Amino acid sequence: MTSAAISVERLARSFGQTHALVDVSFEVRSGSVCALLGRNGAGKTTAVRILTTLLSADSGRAQVAGFDVFSQADKVRARIGVTGQTATMDELLTGHENLEIIGRFCHLGAATSRRRADELLREFDLVDAKDRLVKKYSGGMRRRLDLAASLIAEPEVLFLDEPTTGLDPISRREMWTALRGLVARGTTVLLTTQYLDEADQLADTIVVIDRGLVVAQGTPEQLKASIGRPHVVVTLPDLDAAALERVRGLLGDQAEIHGLSVRTPASNGLATLSAVVTQLERMGLPIYEVGLEHPSLDEVFSTVTGHSDEAGMTAPATGKDG
Amino acid sequence: MRQQAVAPAASWLPWSVVDAYTATSRYLRRGMRQPDVIFGSILIPIIFVVLFGYVFGGSIKIPGGNYRSYLMPGLFAQAILFGSNSVAVGIATDMSEGVIDRFKTLPIGRSAIVIGRAVSALLLGIPAMVVMILCALAVGWRPTGGLGNAALAFGLYELFGFAAIWLGILVGLLAQSSQAADVIMGIPTFLLGFISNVFVDPANMPAWLRVFANWNPMSALVTAGRQLFGNSIGPPPSGVWSLDHPVVTTIGLAIVIVAIVAPFCVCRYSRTSR
Repeated sequence: MTSAAISVERLARSFGQTHALVDVSFEVRSGSVCALLGRNGAGKTTAVRILTTLLSADSGRAQVAGFDVFSQADKVRARIGVTGQTATMDELLTGHENLEIIGRFCHLGAATSRRRADELLREFDLVDAKDRLVKKYSGGMRRRLDLAASLIAEPEVLFLDEPTTGLDPISRREMWTALRGLVARGTTVLLTTQYLDEADQLADTIVVIDRGLVVAQGTPEQLKASIGRPHVVVTLPDLDAAALERVRGLLGDQAEIHGLSVRTPASNGLATLSAVVTQLERMGLPIYEVGLEHPSLDEVFSTVTGHSDEAGMTAPATGKDG
Repeated sequence: MRQQAVAPAASWLPWSVVDAYTATSRYLRRGMRQPDVIFGSILIPIIFVVLFGYVFGGSIKIPGGNYRSYLMPGLFAQAILFGSNSVAVGIATDMSEGVIDRFKTLPIGRSAIVIGRAVSALLLGIPAMVVMILCALAVGWRPTGGLGNAALAFGLYELFGFAAIWLGILVGLLAQSSQAADVIMGIPTFLLGFISNVFVDPANMPAWLRVFANWNPMSALVTAGRQLFGNSIGPPPSGVWSLDHPVVTTIGLAIVIVAIVAPFCVCRYSRTSR
């Protein structure tokens, strides 16, 4: 057995004329968090549905927790937890009843199911709502209950399809906190997201997919580094063209002026920054701020997908992946 | 690999049976949380008793008998048949929501959810049947064929209902939406329910309708009910095998329907790709 909890090789799947997955390969190390990042319709949900035994593939191989998702679906199902995009909890049952039934379906037995339900409700801050019908839950509470349900049998691998899409910022933060707690316990997590900051915050590795193809993968740092080095940015307190020109002269050929700031690539990172600070002090110019700016994942994303941010990748959206 | 702290329990029953039981209890609990639905399922049979027993019934003459006694075994069948409608709508709603996707990723038997639906629908129909019987007794219907025969008759109604529920599940699984399921299920149940001997004697219908009404499985069920309850107004038309042997017809047909439709539903439900 390898140390990969998820291993995907050349997976392809079409729906009629729509090629949802063209050729996707990636691995997720056991105990790590991987984010499948892409815009709506990139193929994220199709990949998750195949890995969670809900959908067949046209070609390629996929293993989860050491078992083939096509020929050993039952073994895979016994080892995974899944939280999809749509709420899967029964509105006419209470939070506790929902969790208990999922536990019984996971063959934990009635007593263990009830115990696990209590534990998870406590962990996800739903104790006060445990005997309330789910139809009276807020959106954030439903997502947390859904997440709790996928954890009831302590799965080895957890799949989260856009866990925070459509949530308000506070609920999103709460969800992130809950997810970090899981990761600390060593669960392998594959999450899909269209939010770059979410991938950056939560994931050890990021697989960027676009139009059914993997266009980049690596750690958030590797992805940023592959796009460019950090920049030194010097910002002046007010618009003084002469002062800006002097700073640009100091920073060298590649320096550019943007409004009140001057930017230049920091070829040596922090060393470049401290050299710049020393020289600025010597010149005695009034300076508002000096800092090191790292390339954002937004830049990475628009570079690797070859199109800019027209779909509002970073803005919270409620759209669904096709 | 990480140690699993929550170990699966042991069971002396096969897991497929336990899963079906869990699914049934889930649907039962759901069903009992919908008082409006329960109220409707009880109210509609009462309306039928009033409507056909008194509004239309006053103008319907049957030779040598009390129309309301003749009508009641028909209305029991009608209530059973119409009950299968809500199953079709319910399962179509399930399929269009995320619930079924979650169930499919759980290590449960492929048959559990559909069996749970069918069994719970059968059990949830019982309160309406009890109200119906009380109503029938209130308007003067009396089973005069003995307790054993009456019990057999209700057994036949429930068996017929179980077969109808499976047909409802099939429609719910094949329909593209819950509204579609409602329509697809509604039209045949309406035709089967009315072009039969439920309300009137088919002898007075035009020939082409009479053939349909006589061979309609509803007519066999109602004939069996009338004979077992002792509410018959005369021998059934001869030459129609299903009416000459109504009990055998009902049992046989129900078994055949369940034997064919239930496995098909399980396959359809567990299909991986959609």
